[in-house]
Amino acid sequence: MIAIEKLSHAYGKRTTLVDVDASIDAGEKIVLLGSNGCGKTTLLKILTGLLEPGGGHVLYDGHQVSPAALRDKTVRRRFRREVGLLFQNPEAMLFNPTVRDEIAFGPRQHDLPDADDRARHWAAQVGVEDLLDHAPYTLSAGQKQLVCLAALLALSPRLLLLDEPTAALDPRSTGWLVDFLQDLPQTLVVATHNLSLATELGERCLVLGEDHTLLHDGDVASLREDTEVLYRANLVHTHRHRHGDQEHRHYHTHDWS
Amino acid sequence: MKDRLLLLVYLVLVVTATLVHDARLLLAGALTVTATEFGRRPQSWVRALRAALPFLVAINLGFLIVSKGDLSAAGRVLPLVNARLFFLVVLVFRILPAIDLQRALGFSPTLRFVLILATSQVLAFRRLFGDFEQALAARTTRRPGLRTSLRQGAALGAFFLRRAEHDATEITQALTARGFFLDRD
Amino acid sequence: MHIPDGFLGPQTYGPAYGVAGVLWAVGLRRLRRTLDPAAVPRLAVATAASFALMLVTVPLPGGTTVHVTGIGMIAVLFGVWHGFLALSLVYLLQALMFGDGGVTALPVMALTAGLGGTAAAVAVHRACGRWPRPAVFLAGWCGTVVPAVLVAFVLGAQPLLAHDAEGTPLFFPFGWAVTVPAVVLPHLLVGVADGVLAVLAWRALAPGEDAP
Ligand SMILES: Nc1ncnc2c1ncn2[C@@H]1O[C@H](COP(=O)(O)OP(=O)(O)O)[C@@H](O)[C@H]1O
Ligand SMILES: [Mg+2]
Repeated sequence: MIAIEKLSHAYGKRTTLVDVDASIDAGEKIVLLGSNGCGKTTLLKILTGLLEPGGGHVLYDGHQVSPAALRDKTVRRRFRREVGLLFQNPEAMLFNPTVRDEIAFGPRQHDLPDADDRARHWAAQVGVEDLLDHAPYTLSAGQKQLVCLAALLALSPRLLLLDEPTAALDPRSTGWLVDFLQDLPQTLVVATHNLSLATELGERCLVLGEDHTLLHDGDVASLREDTEVLYRANLVHTHRHRHGDQEHRHYHTHDWS
Repeated sequence: MKDRLLLLVYLVLVVTATLVHDARLLLAGALTVTATEFGRRPQSWVRALRAALPFLVAINLGFLIVSKGDLSAAGRVLPLVNARLFFLVVLVFRILPAIDLQRALGFSPTLRFVLILATSQVLAFRRLFGDFEQALAARTTRRPGLRTSLRQGAALGAFFLRRAEHDATEITQALTARGFFLDRD
Repeated sequence: MHIPDGFLGPQTYGPAYGVAGVLWAVGLRRLRRTLDPAAVPRLAVATAASFALMLVTVPLPGGTTVHVTGIGMIAVLFGVWHGFLALSLVYLLQALMFGDGGVTALPVMALTAGLGGTAAAVAVHRACGRWPRPAVFLAGWCGTVVPAVLVAFVLGAQPLLAHDAEGTPLFFPFGWAVTVPAVVLPHLLVGVADGVLAVLAWRALAPGEDAP
């Protein structure tokens, strides 16, 4: 479905991605792991055709993805219908007077006849049906995120890219989201720096290192055993532990959030 | 519709208040507006007084000083100015909270779109500003001096300007991704 | 520098709404027609930034603090059109959402601060383009002082424009002899704060910095 070939990118002199190669098949649920600043957001934006790749390219069903390629109206229409991106800061995505309009925006934009039904359906699915007539900017961060998710799902996209979707959620909502995402038929790419989330969510895991290269592409279980990669990617850390009068040091994660 | 109507009522009352030049009528107006707060404590009175007080004090004291204590001139000018200001502030507190601005000004889709994005950003920036202030209060024990204030002000200014640039890009990308510009060439 | 309702007569706010209304309509039209997808987002963030800058305070000698205006910074970064529309939106939101400043004063503030202030700031910034630091300082200073002068002029004209048969003022009761010193003098100082703030903020914004 997606082929990423020798992809590089930089903001001016700041390197963000170096020679990334990967491919994503339809139906896969992939976790994109990496510490802060290693280029996850940049990669997702390139996959969505919002940023021009610096080198290499991205193919979606064999078609080039880039702002230039998406200038063609028919290509753009189809691509925007089929690929959705949940921004790290959902505030940027909200611009409609009510939650109802917000969720129905995509379907209306694509001239789907059942926009309002879709809005109601997806609001209920993510649990914001009570907020349908509220203004999105009055909601809490977590609610905004759910509204954005519903807005994306209302288009029944094929590919859903989520940028740190659990950052604003409490543990219970995070658990709910993991189950919810597992049950979606969509192809998923979820960016996070939370290793334990990866364990729960993904079958397959891509790890971006602090050198902006792809350090790992494979299943989560083998990643958990590869301490060296985890340490290089800044996904685990060491510090002193005291148990009674014994003191020792080992790699581990803290499963915050 | 309700919001547009309320806004219209508000604007008509404001204009009327600037066309009526009788202090007693204006005060009666203020009382009437307050009296419509059925069953609740007359909050708009108190809040209006508090909000208008600095202006009222400045105008009245200023006038007495400028007219060198000429009480007859003050008697002719000040009641009207005070009553009008007070009536208008009562209107603000009584009517405006009930109006949803986005709905009231939604007659132009472009204006509504601009307003929603602007309101959402303004609220976000206000929240951030509050965080900065609290962080500062938590870290300082004395009132900061001029130099420190300027430095903090500049840091805040730079933060908000940079944040604005960043958010503009981010919002544009989000609009693009959500198909806002589907039909644009 | 917010003018509350009740200080300006219809002789003032009527024409001001006329002029500002035309400019707002032109601005909205330009926004609707523009091919730049970032135009509306930029306007929204310029509004928010302007709103936030107005919350910044600086202590004056004597123990009081004043709010800077930030108009010069907004003008230089976003230009006159966006500055004008952004400041109009700030005054609109302040008047109708936060109950701060009046709706009759709205067009006057939009024209004096939003248009006068930003245009002056952009003009001096261009004129002094060869000396970046003084240019930014002067932009900050003018963005505050020019609106103050214009507001003092408009306020001071009220007794002349609106009075009853005996000449008793009906709205703001002071003439220019009072408004010019009372409004302009403090803003000469606030302007300095605005100018210094703009220079310091610019230094912090220097290229090579990270996005937030
Ligand atoms: N618009 C931008 N301009 C310049 N640098 C940016 C921009 N956005 C991100 N960066 C920088 O690019 C690097 C990668 O950022 P990002 O892709 O957001 O990382 P992540 O999402 O993994 O935290 C970071 O160092 C960040 O500071
Ligand atoms: Mg990120």
